[in-house]
Amino acid sequence: MKKKVLALIMAGTMIFGLAACGEAAAPVADAGAAPADDAAPAGDASGEAAAPAASSGEGIRLVNGKIEVDAMLKEAAEKYTQETGVVVTIESMGGGVNIQDTLKGYYQADNMPDIFVCGSDADFDNWKGMLVDMSGEAWASDTDAAYKNDGGTVGFPYTTEAIGLAYNADILEKAGVDPKSITGPDAMKKAFETLDSKKDELGLTAVIGWCTEPKDLYWSTGSHSFANYIDSGLARDDTKYADMLADGGKIDETRFEHYAEMIGLFNQYSDPALLTSGTYDQQILGFASGKYAFVTQGSWIGATMTSDDADAYKEAGNFKCGMAPYAFEDGIDTILTNSPSWWAVFDNDNKADSLAFLQWLAGEEGQEILVKKAGFISPFKSCTFIADDPFAETISEYTAAGKTSSWHWLKNKSGLDQNALGQLYADYALGSIPDAKAFTSTVAQVLQQYYAE
Amino acid sequence: MKTNTAGQKMCSLILLAAGIILLVGALIMDFSGSQSTLRGPMLVIGAVSFFVGLYFFPTLKHHRQIVYVIFLFPLLFTFAVTVIIPLLLGICYSFTDWTGIKFTQVVGFANYIAMFKDPAFIWSILITFIFVVMNMILVNVTAFLLALLCTSGLPGVGFFRASYFLPNLIGGIVLGYIWQFVFSNVLINITKISWLVQTKTALAAIVVVYIWQYAGYIMLIYVTGLTQIPGDVLEAAKIDGANARQTLFEVKIPMLASTFTICTFLTLTSAFKQFDVNMALTNGTGSVPNFMGNYLSNGTQMLALNIYNTAIAKNSYALGQAKAVLFFIILACVSLVQVRISNKREVEL
Repeated sequence: MKKKVLALIMAGTMIFGLAACGEAAAPVADAGAAPADDAAPAGDASGEAAAPAASSGEGIRLVNGKIEVDAMLKEAAEKYTQETGVVVTIESMGGGVNIQDTLKGYYQADNMPDIFVCGSDADFDNWKGMLVDMSGEAWASDTDAAYKNDGGTVGFPYTTEAIGLAYNADILEKAGVDPKSITGPDAMKKAFETLDSKKDELGLTAVIGWCTEPKDLYWSTGSHSFANYIDSGLARDDTKYADMLADGGKIDETRFEHYAEMIGLFNQYSDPALLTSGTYDQQILGFASGKYAFVTQGSWIGATMTSDDADAYKEAGNFKCGMAPYAFEDGIDTILTNSPSWWAVFDNDNKADSLAFLQWLAGEEGQEILVKKAGFISPFKSCTFIADDPFAETISEYTAAGKTSSWHWLKNKSGLDQNALGQLYADYALGSIPDAKAFTSTVAQVLQQYYAE
Repeated sequence: MKTNTAGQKMCSLILLAAGIILLVGALIMDFSGSQSTLRGPMLVIGAVSFFVGLYFFPTLKHHRQIVYVIFLFPLLFTFAVTVIIPLLLGICYSFTDWTGIKFTQVVGFANYIAMFKDPAFIWSILITFIFVVMNMILVNVTAFLLALLCTSGLPGVGFFRASYFLPNLIGGIVLGYIWQFVFSNVLINITKISWLVQTKTALAAIVVVYIWQYAGYIMLIYVTGLTQIPGDVLEAAKIDGANARQTLFEVKIPMLASTFTICTFLTLTSAFKQFDVNMALTNGTGSVPNFMGNYLSNGTQMLALNIYNTAIAKNSYALGQAKAVLFFIILACVSLVQVRISNKREVEL
């Protein structure tokens, strides 16, 4: 009898197990089917890619690439839901997540978000033919920063960032260096020398916080710093050096050597503890606490200075910040401003809801949250709010004077910073590439290899 | 009796047919993107009725095989879906220009040719082999010495055994970041510049960290081997007047031959697949000024990381897939040799 009961229990468990397997098998079969969809020619794929769970009209989903503004975006989404009843889910990614790769996974699993972040030409090319052309939207005529390609206006700009030589205005003033005087390599060198001689009385550890660590900060050197070679001093639509680069990785050696000399100057006057093995946090904290007069990061550090490093920044007197051009040649007087990334709308059943949400964000209520709370610098002309950010003022000054250049480094070949350039800046800083001339020839060689692949 | 069999046959055939129809219907609905909620139950009911039909199929000859198949099915199905199908798909993708989203054309062997023309990839293969050989020797030697220490009967061996094993419980990524901190913030006071910024020292750093992580695990296997040596053999050696060195080389090591084989292959395959420590510690950085006439920036990038980077950072999924196929072939060869050798040993023992 006992045995029979035992057998019954075991059989029951097995049937339950099998049933569970069957239930589990259904979604697994789905996953197996998704790649097969892929075999269809590119054009067809977009039509089938409607996400079953998210696209049933109950809401839209946005994948955001700036984890630091996650809370503010959620606040905006909540407000939008209250007003219109459309639920907006914000999914933020950051901290080393490769967003494009995650999105590819979502695509294969039939789980595409309705709005997602794209940061470069290569990113937009990934989704060719699957994005909504937004040129008809009201906001599109209110900004110059939208991303356009042959699919139309496919990227919604949400902020503006600037790359320039950030400085601590208070320290420069104390040292008697006028940032406006930095208009060429000689003036920059003189300013560095003056600051270096007064290091002790100004409480500086080093003149400049410049970090070439190749593992985690390759983007700072290989993309953002290299960007100055491509764009500094040029008109916004001038793609001269970007075109040369795209044509088999060619560089203008004279211009690059001038740029390399400036990098040499940075190597010489940077904090040795930071130069080759520092971290981003160290770099920003050093600047925020007034230990470096200059720092080679863009306007985005303002957010870190006023949040994570707020204590140190306060102790250093909440000093005024500004940006000087990277004047490696006489006459360079622009900083590089651009929308760092855009939001693209995936072409699915929800696109009307998605477009309405973006239009709302571009309007007064949306902008109020994005600018005042998230600290975004609005790319929209009609926006009257001013962000409470240490760099907001200097950016609007340059913009008003028309002294800005674009970010054509976004056209660089995928992975150029991580797989080629970042390491070269580190070698130059370490001294295994001895001087500006050698740096120029090595960069020329490596770029050629990289573009030939 | 006969009619009964005929009836049963009829019944089972109907069930089989109904099952297949339901299954195919559900799959068609799924592929055509239907949103009907019926397709899930259809799939499950179809599968169940198919198997019930199969089970009641009136045959004495094949009944046993049918039962085996039914019981094996859940496992076989899972294995096919998670291993076999992705493997085949992966091999197919390596012959196309797949971007991770879609592909537009079949390119034949172009990816495979491109991969062998890429000096950075050749370099990755080279350092992976060097790394594997170095690790196989160093990890085993270290682990064996630790195992001897931990079976020596000194006071407190239990504590040391646990603490040597502890690093193995920390995940590779966390471990990589811990050691990155050690190399760039602590040891820098002695070494002046961080070990991680120059290719040669960075490779040494990866080897050190890997040994630190893995030796404790291999040590445990050796400890098990050592404690399983029969006491009477050791006692006989002692009575015969063998000293400690003789006991080690003439008795213990020969008795451990099969343990050595296992440990060698364990270290071999795991060193080949090295990824997480490599990624967290250096992420492949390091320069090689002149390799095959090229200036390389991936001095410490091992095979697995190179594949990942090709697909993710360089956005060439198909090329990465081709490299992964080569990686699979290398690992399959190693595993086959391993199985051969261990089978032989077992027969001998």
